[in-house]
Amino acid sequence: MKFLCVPCDEPMKIQETKGPEDGSLTVIFGCQTCRRQVALLTNPIETQIVRSLDVKIGGQQAPPDPMRFVRSTLAAMREEVPSASQPTSTGSGCPFTSIANSAFERPTPIYRAVWTEEAAQRLNNIPSFARSWAQKGIEEYAQERGYQKITPEVMDEVRERFGM
Amino acid sequence: MKTYRDIAGDAGSNVMGQVRTQEENLRARMAKIRLKVAVLSGKGGVGKSVIVANLATAFAMRGLQVGVLDADINGPSQAKMLGVRGQRLTFQAEGVQPARGPLGIRVVSMDLFLPSDETPVLWSGPTEGEGYFWRGAMEVAALREFLADTDWSELDLLLLDLPPGADRIPNLLPLLPELHGIIIVTLPSEVSQLIVAKSVTVAKEILKAPIVGMIENMATHLCSRCGAHAPLFPGQDSARLAERLSVPFLGRIPFDPLLSRCADEGTPILMSYPAAPAAEALSEIAAKVGEALCLPPAPS
Repeated sequence: MKFLCVPCDEPMKIQETKGPEDGSLTVIFGCQTCRRQVALLTNPIETQIVRSLDVKIGGQQAPPDPMRFVRSTLAAMREEVPSASQPTSTGSGCPFTSIANSAFERPTPIYRAVWTEEAAQRLNNIPSFARSWAQKGIEEYAQERGYQKITPEVMDEVRERFGM
Repeated sequence: MKTYRDIAGDAGSNVMGQVRTQEENLRARMAKIRLKVAVLSGKGGVGKSVIVANLATAFAMRGLQVGVLDADINGPSQAKMLGVRGQRLTFQAEGVQPARGPLGIRVVSMDLFLPSDETPVLWSGPTEGEGYFWRGAMEVAALREFLADTDWSELDLLLLDLPPGADRIPNLLPLLPELHGIIIVTLPSEVSQLIVAKSVTVAKEILKAPIVGMIENMATHLCSRCGAHAPLFPGQDSARLAERLSVPFLGRIPFDPLLSRCADEGTPILMSYPAAPAAEALSEIAAKVGEALCLPPAPS
């Protein structure tokens, strides 16, 4: 994907990226001649399509770990399968895809969620095939907001926000 | 005004280069495998996977190095049929060490990633509702990783157990342009044969790989009283269908509950009950497949 500043007829360069948030990325491009800026805002489908290419814009500095794509995209996985490592996006180019990848990769497990008994019971009521997916989503939500405990109220927040 | 092609490069990402690297890695891995053969069907439930497991066993019994890739991402069954469900995949820098089935058969299946029997293959993403847009791309990417990132080592034969239906067959084309053969499995039922004909057309016209032949599964059932074989389905003889589609007919496998039981137990019938009618039929079919693929014959 390339952006052209029409008045200057010059390719625009990436200046800033934001997100992803709720499956959307913000990538700001600027014209180095006239300083105009334009932001690319992706919808979740576009983010996901880029994700499925399994490439890194910004350059692949080292060969990816074996089966990184499967390990980073499966919603539920055996415990003994190592989660994919965090992407190491480097380079000055567009980080569009590497951001998209990081949007769905499993985070390094620094945060340890503490589930209250009530919340854990409610989690157990979720069908088994979707439970680990829901758990991951709730824990990531709690981590992003700095919640130390996952309570039924936190679960309600997630449900209201994402419909989970 | 400049067009896309007037602007050099892609801001340093070299996306096309990354895709080429993926292809090169895949080619390098596949270069160590002498023969790649896909097994497909039209309808599901025709017994394709159990035939794959037993063909792999037949060739492993000859002392060949054999691998099985369960390409049925959403309905994986090879780990169960080859008795490796409890094994762990080992992740190393040079690739993932596959599970080891009977006679050292190397097995990779999505089943080896899933945490429980009830867990379906779901991809994480914010747009599950619109998954029809991207699910196919995710499956192809997963299949590419299974092929390229598995440390298959040197293999004489890799059998690919494809999902049922003609729609997924073209997925193989960018991954395995050098496919050495296709084996087709059908039932002697009109419905199965109607659909399998479509798969044959896709295999011939899109994959353009040589068709090793067609196998008729559940051809007859054995009367427990008199021992006579009787047809299980009222459809036409699959040999006639094969002739009409100009593909070799490899043989018939009778319906045999032992075959199913052995699959459930993870021990191929060729090893557990080699004298069973279904096992004998599978051995004869394996001999024809081996001949077609110029594999060394079974030791006498």
